[in-house]
Amino acid sequence: MNILARSMGNAFRNKVRSGAVILILAVAIGLALSMLVAHQAVGAKVAELKSQIGTQLTVNPAGSRGFEGGGEPLTNSDLDTVRSVEHVSAAEGSLSLRLSTSDAASAEDSGSDDSASDDSAAQEGSGGGDSGAAQSDTAQSDPAQSGTAQSEPAQAGSRGPGSMATAGSTSLRSAVDAGTLGARNSGTSDGTSGSTAAQAPPAMPLTATGISTAAAADGSELTLTDGTAITDYSANSTEVLLGASLAEENGLAAGSTFEALGRTFTVAGVFDAGTVFDNNALYLPLAAAQELSGQTGELSSILVTVDSMENVDSTQTALTDALGSDRADVSAGTAGLSEAINSLAGVQSISLVGFIAALAAAALIVLLIMIMVVRERRREIGVLKAIGASNRTIGLQFVLEAVVLVAIGAVLGSVIAVGASGPIASALVDSSTGSSSSIEAGSMGPGAMGGEALQAPPGTDGQPSDGQSDGPSDGQSTDGQSTDGQAQGTAPDGAPAGGPGSGPFGSGGPFGSFDQTAELIGTVTTSVGPGTIALGAGGVLFIAAFGALVPALMTARVRPIEVLRGE
Amino acid sequence: MLEVRNVVKEFPSGDGVIRPVNGVTFSLPQGTFAAILGRSGSGKSTLLSILGALDTATSGDVVMDGTNISQLPPGRLTEYRRRDIGFVFQQYNLIPNLSAMENVMLPMEFAGVGKAERMARAAALLNEVELTEELHQRPANRLSGGQQQRVSIARALANRPRLVLADEPTGNLDEETGELIIELLRNLAQQENTTILVVTHDQALAAKTDRRLRLARGTLTEE
Repeated sequence: MNILARSMGNAFRNKVRSGAVILILAVAIGLALSMLVAHQAVGAKVAELKSQIGTQLTVNPAGSRGFEGGGEPLTNSDLDTVRSVEHVSAAEGSLSLRLSTSDAASAEDSGSDDSASDDSAAQEGSGGGDSGAAQSDTAQSDPAQSGTAQSEPAQAGSRGPGSMATAGSTSLRSAVDAGTLGARNSGTSDGTSGSTAAQAPPAMPLTATGISTAAAADGSELTLTDGTAITDYSANSTEVLLGASLAEENGLAAGSTFEALGRTFTVAGVFDAGTVFDNNALYLPLAAAQELSGQTGELSSILVTVDSMENVDSTQTALTDALGSDRADVSAGTAGLSEAINSLAGVQSISLVGFIAALAAAALIVLLIMIMVVRERRREIGVLKAIGASNRTIGLQFVLEAVVLVAIGAVLGSVIAVGASGPIASALVDSSTGSSSSIEAGSMGPGAMGGEALQAPPGTDGQPSDGQSDGPSDGQSTDGQSTDGQAQGTAPDGAPAGGPGSGPFGSGGPFGSFDQTAELIGTVTTSVGPGTIALGAGGVLFIAAFGALVPALMTARVRPIEVLRGE
Repeated sequence: MLEVRNVVKEFPSGDGVIRPVNGVTFSLPQGTFAAILGRSGSGKSTLLSILGALDTATSGDVVMDGTNISQLPPGRLTEYRRRDIGFVFQQYNLIPNLSAMENVMLPMEFAGVGKAERMARAAALLNEVELTEELHQRPANRLSGGQQQRVSIARALANRPRLVLADEPTGNLDEETGELIIELLRNLAQQENTTILVVTHDQALAAKTDRRLRLARGTLTEE
């Protein structure tokens, strides 16, 4: 019998004790491996999210995101400042406008005619909505074939009951129906009864984004399905890009014309952003948007490209310093992405600590057990030395005994980890995003939605900030979708609309941030790669070595004469 | 030839020292079957430990076939015990979960003997100590006292030592079994040409040996 076989036999001299030790080791090692796998999986996710951020920064007015919040808009002068900052390789500004649609015009007409009967209409249920829809259908009786939208454009800045302040109007119809969520969030439902009976048909505005390059406001390439990109970016330009949903709803194609902001625009191209929400939008030249909306020189956000990922953090700080933190918010990618990364970073730390702690516990268990075993077999050690065993031989025997216990525990622990690593990783991620979301949701209050970062164009009936009275916020989007078809918009502040795994999270505004973070994170996939296996094996060896080394050294101090004196 | 020259062993005791071994001198030719007699606590086990290189003398020399054991470094002492010394303990001290065969093979494994040779010699030794073959693979903790002592003797002879030291080998056995063990040791001393030194307080047992030495008050006298 060689020393390994003898050690294996010795390891199971006390079967009950050895079984209990192996079981405890299995749990500890299983937990350690699960934490390690979770750590690796989360690390991979963080790397994936960071790659989404890439080298881009987004500058928003301080205290504002899209159409939410308040403060002062950015300007072309700010854009020049941004471009002058070191490591900024490119910077493009954009201006988001909210346009009232022909649906709003129809709703206003029905609302003004029937204002006395609004309450009764609401009590009747969805009749108001139906009539509104019917009227809008009537108003748009001859679309598509001529390629020209015929509907009567709503008045600029018009606000029927429950609609939001707008920068202007358009002859287009929204491709997104208000539905229950739109009615609720536009305040046209009866908040107390929960009824969606509308005093007037809820008006779903469109988001028009002024851009100055061929990319979307978030820097992503626009996938054109018809026509070409905008070629004329001057203030007098009449070229626009329409989202596929919007084009289809209005029967438009490349070459078609429609009215917006008092100008007749021609559809230069139709794009597909991947989702109905993001396709319910249009892009127009920035200078034209600024001029037509009376916001000359103003910007909603600035998308910054940094020369390398290593300079992102320093450039973010430099931009904040250059613009002033009271004037501009500078974020990497989107606030949602940063939040998601921070959440996952916390999970990484927790899982790493858990891995180390579980390993340490396992090592301590082995150490204590082996110390006990050495003390029990002190006489035997003395006899072995008396019959010619060297200290090294005896020490090796006890090390192998520990290794046997640890190896069996590691095998069982690996089985446990296979089943537990996924749920543990999910639980850690879910608890992390859940805790951050509760804080975010709590910061929302009545009127948090419908915020009017935009100024209504002069001469319109814009009533800025009146959107606050549209009703209590209900931003608890359950699926990360905007509950207000326009409130998050197509993310002119840099959120990649329809980006990978991101969904239509838009501006990172106050509502739905829990779902934003969770949706941004998406699925954390646990997998065991060579690195994980190597690290896990190293951890197991550490357990065995640490647990056995001290007892092995103890055996060297046993003197055989002490054994004989005990005879 | 074992030569013991004026060996002294001191232990501190209170303000002074005690000398259980105080100037012991004797010699034993190879193949001698001898006994060291003495009362309990007379220092017999202490002398045995010095002869077996388990302990060091305060002064004096132990010479085995011309090699002064007292001056060997610790590593060489281990080698000396491995190859030249065999121990038979009063409480057998077998490895309980190993079989009789595996216990006998242990010293040979420590000495680097090949597996086949280990197995063959172990089987032969167990036959010499008259342990029936069906007991060769039985775990030591399932053998009787007499059987365990036979295995212990076989283990002591595994590496063909020049000296076997038996400390009260019949102390835990009944009289009849004890006599059988002593007879076995005598025969093995002749067959293996091994010097066997038995430490005992049993006069009747000592009478069965070829030479008797008595240790009293630290000094050794021959009877």
